[in-house]
Amino acid sequence: MEEKQKGMWPLVEKYYQDYGSRARELKKDGIKFMGYICSFVPVEIIRAAGFVPFRIRGNVHEPITKGNTQLETIACPFMRSCFDLSFKGHYDFCEGVIIPHACDSMTRSYSVWKYSLGLPYSHFVNVPHTVNAASLQFFEAELNTFRKSLGRYAGKEINTAEIAQAITAYNQLRKKVKALYELRKTNPPLVSGTEMAKLLTVTAGLPVEEANLLCDQALDQLPQRTAPSDKKFPRILIDGACIDNIDLVQLVEESGASVVADDLCLGMRDFWPTTDVDQDPLKALSRRYLEKLNCPRTFRQSPGGSLSDDLQARFGDMGAHIKEFGVDGIIIYVYKYCDPFGFEVSARKAYLSSLGVSILYLEDEYSAGTIGRLRTRIQAFLEMMG
Amino acid sequence: MAEEQKKNENQKRRTATKAASMIGPMVKELIAATHRAKAEGKKLAYTFISCHYEEIVRAMDVVPVWTENFAGICGAKRDAERFLSRAESLDFSRSLCSYALCGIGFDQWREDLGEMPPDPPWGGQGRPDMMLSSGQILCDPRNKWYQAAQQFMPDVPNYNFSIPWPLYDDDIELTEIEPYYIKYIVSELKGLIAFLETQTQKRMDYDRLGELVNLTERTWNMIWETYELRRAVPTPMDTGDAMNTMVPWAFMMATQESYNFFAELNRELKEKIARKEGVIKDEKYRLLWGGGLPAWFALKDFNYFNSKGAVFPVETTYRLIEPIYRLNIPDTNDPLERIAYRWFRYWTYMYDKAKKRPGSEPDVERLIQFIEDYKIDGVVMHEAFSCRTWHLGLIWQLSQLKKIYKPVPFLTIGPDGTKNVEHRELPTLILESDIIDINSYSEADTRNRIDAFIETLESIKKQREN
Repeated sequence: MEEKQKGMWPLVEKYYQDYGSRARELKKDGIKFMGYICSFVPVEIIRAAGFVPFRIRGNVHEPITKGNTQLETIACPFMRSCFDLSFKGHYDFCEGVIIPHACDSMTRSYSVWKYSLGLPYSHFVNVPHTVNAASLQFFEAELNTFRKSLGRYAGKEINTAEIAQAITAYNQLRKKVKALYELRKTNPPLVSGTEMAKLLTVTAGLPVEEANLLCDQALDQLPQRTAPSDKKFPRILIDGACIDNIDLVQLVEESGASVVADDLCLGMRDFWPTTDVDQDPLKALSRRYLEKLNCPRTFRQSPGGSLSDDLQARFGDMGAHIKEFGVDGIIIYVYKYCDPFGFEVSARKAYLSSLGVSILYLEDEYSAGTIGRLRTRIQAFLEMMG
Repeated sequence: MAEEQKKNENQKRRTATKAASMIGPMVKELIAATHRAKAEGKKLAYTFISCHYEEIVRAMDVVPVWTENFAGICGAKRDAERFLSRAESLDFSRSLCSYALCGIGFDQWREDLGEMPPDPPWGGQGRPDMMLSSGQILCDPRNKWYQAAQQFMPDVPNYNFSIPWPLYDDDIELTEIEPYYIKYIVSELKGLIAFLETQTQKRMDYDRLGELVNLTERTWNMIWETYELRRAVPTPMDTGDAMNTMVPWAFMMATQESYNFFAELNRELKEKIARKEGVIKDEKYRLLWGGGLPAWFALKDFNYFNSKGAVFPVETTYRLIEPIYRLNIPDTNDPLERIAYRWFRYWTYMYDKAKKRPGSEPDVERLIQFIEDYKIDGVVMHEAFSCRTWHLGLIWQLSQLKKIYKPVPFLTIGPDGTKNVEHRELPTLILESDIIDINSYSEADTRNRIDAFIETLESIKKQREN
């Protein structure tokens, strides 16, 4: 492949393989980084405070060792891996860590993170579970508490204009990612699921301006591609929590399918919703993170009262994506010890079955050691789909 | 041999107090009462413990069905497996909260049959008319369990209300955030009342609600005062019994019966103290049950500790109360505000104390308070694999406790022969199994660990005596 055709992909590969390398480079230039975990942390406020938000990532190839000395093995394995790497110093360029009230594993481990890492700054963002006018008001107040707290640490008052500016930058990124997803609608898609997983993982560890630039380059380059062949593969949507390693997606694609869509935290769940720009920034952020982010940890009162209404309200966005992206099969991929997603598997299967797509449910442990077992299951699933 | 083993399993745990021995029949009656209420046409609601909605539910004449209680009964009777495996067959992972799995497995079976599953423990769990979920800051299953159960009971409405409290952060001033927390909690409680009014077609009687809030506050005070009697040496009641007496706290709050129970227990403990009658004759070691729900199928392990001379005068588990005066609840006649303040201040009242000890946190500070108040020699915790809510952070709590609190004196001799007294941390033990999934439990392994722990306590005791 010509260097020009490769475009930004070698850089994406570099940042993916050595996650945090760009942060280390920038830190030498005086750029400050603030670590966070999970999609419920409002990165716009961190950015407005003058920090680069850095999404803490795990590594399925690195055994969890040091982390086990401080955190029980019954916690979510993804979160344990994130903690383990942080505790080993992989992300020591971060000045602090922000953890949201997303699930028990995060909430109960907040003190463990705070004291074990010994970082100068930490904050817990309390996200309510229900969505109504009072919840939105509460969450707005909670975001304001976060704004003031981070401002005190940064030695500045984070003003509304700075938050609005950060909202614009992140909205741009989300819109660009959405445009990249459009390239997956063709059959075969112009960008593979593996490439997208790499790119999206990488953007979470970069200044938003650089992430925007990478997406711009991808948007320039990818439409020029011609499909590698006319062969059409089964089109798969992966549904689950946070997948920040490409191994599963790559395995599915190596097994003879195209991953064309997802319902994942580092995917459509997080990148699809934008923040409204026609209202007070904190109010708009409270709405984006509480009302628009569709995660099972947030409870939405069933609008009509019937079970089918409830399932539609909870999973209807995934149903729409299935149609939009011409999805043939779904892989529900849930980590062991994940209560928010684990309690939904049965209902998700019921809803997805009603749409007539093939479904494979996998429970996994956030370890590359399980790839062999997964390969057998995935190959059998794809064979069954024909 | 098998019969002998079965006989041993069926042997009741030995209780130290009459009050604790009365709990079995009380729980049976609680469950029977839900069946009678159903037959009389009263509304039944699935409910969770410690959500501070007891007064509201009772004031609306809705009958609570405590689903965690029923799962615990299944566990204690070693009869949970058939419900757990049924839930597993419905794609609920065995790594999820086993209380919830047991409940969902039971519900699906009951709905499938149109009647109770065969030989249901103590008559089984009645079909609810509504379910009251609780999105707190902890316990994902309280947020998800009933939503999942609704798949098998689609006609039963599920209402979820969110009652947060703030986690401890050094740079947060409680006085700044309390107003918006209280406002929100009151709003969520009003939402719950509106839902119950719709379901029951009756209006909330706020005078009655106020009376039940008063009763709850008096009961909290009575429980605190009663449990504080356990400071006595020898202690008249230990954690084994407290795992029984949690019933009137968890499942009967806002009833006169709950208050009366603790008043009677109070009287019983005072009599035992007057007679210097302890849980065991020769109390050698006083332990703190410092965290974790018990393995309901293995409560006899408390007797095993007793057989080694160890007692538990105090526990953090199911002690989610404080004397109301300590919470400094602002003067208000609004019962919803009183509930909201009680909730918020219960969870935060230790924060100021924690701030004063570098490296401390409210959970650790609570351990230190109990260690000092109850003259504790060692800390025991239990890690239940299926529950992240109460079992994550235990390792860290003990690790932090050891760093900042070293109360055990020991003698060192310097190079020049001078004797010095230094201090080291309390011995600790973490047991591992589950709340009701017996597959996780090994009696031999558990007792080996207890034996080793007792040896450590013995060694320290000898050093002290020397």
